[in-house]
Amino acid sequence: MNPQTVDEIARKVGDGGRLSRTEALTLYEQAPTHLLGCLADEACARRHPSGIVTYIIDRNVNYTNVCVAKCNFCAFYRPVGSPEGYVLGFDELFTKIDETIAVGGEQLLLQGGHNPDLPLEWYEDLFRAVKTRYPSFRLHALSPPEIIHLSRLSQLDVPSIIERLTDAGLDSIPGGGAEILVDRVRRELNCYSKASASEWLGVMRDAHRVGLRTTVTMMFGTVESLDERIEHLMRVRDLQDETGGFTAFITWSFQPSNTERGGMEATGVDYLRTLALARLVLDNVDNIQASWVTQGGKVGQLSLSYGANDMGSVMIEENVVRAAGAAFCMDELEIVRNIENAGFIPKRRNMHYKVLGDPIVQQREVPRMTTLAQARAANDHSVPEELVRYRARTPSGKRQRVQH
Amino acid sequence: MSNEAALDDLRATLTEGGRLSDEQVRNLMLKTDLLSLGMLADDVRRSRHGETTTFVRVAEVPVKGAVSTELRGQAMELRIIGVPDSPEVMVSAVRLAAEAGIPVTGYAVHDLLEMSNGDMALFRHLLDELLEVGLAAISELVVDRTPEPESVVSTVVDAGLAISRVTIHEASGDKRIGFLKAVAGWTLPDRGVWAFAPLPRAAVVSEPEAPPTGYDDVRQVALARLLVDNIGSIQVDWALHGPKLAQVALTFGADDIDAVPAVDAVDLGPRRTSLEEVRQNIRAASFVPVERNGCFESVM
Ligand code: SF4
Repeated sequence: MNPQTVDEIARKVGDGGRLSRTEALTLYEQAPTHLLGCLADEACARRHPSGIVTYIIDRNVNYTNVCVAKCNFCAFYRPVGSPEGYVLGFDELFTKIDETIAVGGEQLLLQGGHNPDLPLEWYEDLFRAVKTRYPSFRLHALSPPEIIHLSRLSQLDVPSIIERLTDAGLDSIPGGGAEILVDRVRRELNCYSKASASEWLGVMRDAHRVGLRTTVTMMFGTVESLDERIEHLMRVRDLQDETGGFTAFITWSFQPSNTERGGMEATGVDYLRTLALARLVLDNVDNIQASWVTQGGKVGQLSLSYGANDMGSVMIEENVVRAAGAAFCMDELEIVRNIENAGFIPKRRNMHYKVLGDPIVQQREVPRMTTLAQARAANDHSVPEELVRYRARTPSGKRQRVQH
Repeated sequence: MSNEAALDDLRATLTEGGRLSDEQVRNLMLKTDLLSLGMLADDVRRSRHGETTTFVRVAEVPVKGAVSTELRGQAMELRIIGVPDSPEVMVSAVRLAAEAGIPVTGYAVHDLLEMSNGDMALFRHLLDELLEVGLAAISELVVDRTPEPESVVSTVVDAGLAISRVTIHEASGDKRIGFLKAVAGWTLPDRGVWAFAPLPRAAVVSEPEAPPTGYDDVRQVALARLLVDNIGSIQVDWALHGPKLAQVALTFGADDIDAVPAVDAVDLGPRRTSLEEVRQNIRAASFVPVERNGCFESVM
């Protein structure tokens, strides 16, 4: 270790200076974990001096698990024609929204597989139906690769897809599917074809241009080098300099169970170091979220000392990382307790990270949620009625609709 | 004194191997933020153990269970678990386990005392018998269940045995810290106790709504490292606390990982085995993994 260099870089960041790529790499490789934590903690406190830590009550719903992308790190998807494939019906989604509203939620995080049998009109009708029934309910929906999939499916460019979805009720775009924004890595993860790094960033640029706010994610711990992990952060920072449209950065480690890729999961210390580095590199992104869903409640809470200022979502439902072996659950009471225990002030927020108020649990009785709901019961193979109205493209999709 | 000056004062005392005054302990508890506490604990831990982090692969053997010979080479400690019906069963379980040629530990001090009806002469006799049939160490001394721990430890050491680890069964809030102070105050014979595991092993029954948080746990580990200087190792439990918390605790002063499964309970498939995983976790926390056996001897 060269303490002089780390010390110099630490001083520079402490003074609010911007990290270069080389400096970021030196810090990650050489700085002791507590030093990284302290620097990130200070940077976070400079940006959020009020000591508030936010969270959102929403529901993470995966409308379909049928996917043609076949990313090799994914344990969630099922191929077209699989008996385990599902598409949720509009009524099922309404029930989930009712349950979300009952515990104080006002947003759905809606993402799913790239299902060739769901045309653009299905999404438009769904969004319109949600907005008709629940006018103030928010839709944080469809990550960039899903938008690219719809663009390819409907032969329309990305801005047109965003425009049509926004007209139908889309409020903001989640930053999923970013993985590592380096094409070498994306090719190895078999996710280059769903969206190259520039395509992913291009969707976000288009979204930001029309005034949509989005989040951005990073899944680390697969095949990327540290340098490539930092390249990802640099690309995010560059786009944020250009558009200012990212509300928050969320990182988590690859969950290997039940995936084709398999292998090792990055450790808790790797996670905390990566989180801290993200806070330091992304000096233009306000909010850094803790991923307690993948790290567990304890390391999730510790994230608040390593640069995070947001505890993410009170998870009502989760299907994707659960399929890969992580199934931690925290309801609002537990999230609030963890924030207070760490010495911060818990506040509810919306998807734009605007503070909405104090915790619901401090205002009224809310049922405890100690287990995560799933998209569907394992043995439920029902096909939603409204699907017959939409044109299927695959032979199995067509067969399914005829039988119905 | 400013917070920074108070920290420097604490660091100076600790790195010189001194004991903290009551006021310094108060500062530590009330004024020190989590990461500063972690840094202090890490400094002290490195001054005592350098970069080494030890770990042990343990196979638990029920008191009336058979011992598989396949455990040789996989388990570095056979730990007898459960409370036997009689001293005879206790002794024969050790005799049977010792045949595997792996260091055998077992039992809690309070169970041995109960088996001896609290009679110290009977207790000593039982210890002699256990030593004779091959017991390497008593598994644990549970702070909140063992009366007069110092004299018990002396008796154990006089009998030629040691106590593998001091544990806390159940405690929350101030009580957790209270146990740290109590253990730190014990006068112990040299190498009478090998490790202190400061995280309570069971949830507090009366407080099901408030299980300890990550902050509570790493703070407890760091305070244990800073206050308890009469026991060599500060230990975390891989199986009980999970790999992630156990690993993070290493950066807050812990230097030993207990209870890495000798045999993976589930087929980890394309995932790593526990042995690979624990080594990777220790390295990723910037320490050097050293496997040990149930006698706290390196087996590299
Ligand atoms: S990560 Fe998304 S796009 Fe990739 S296979 Fe899974 S569901 Fe499909």
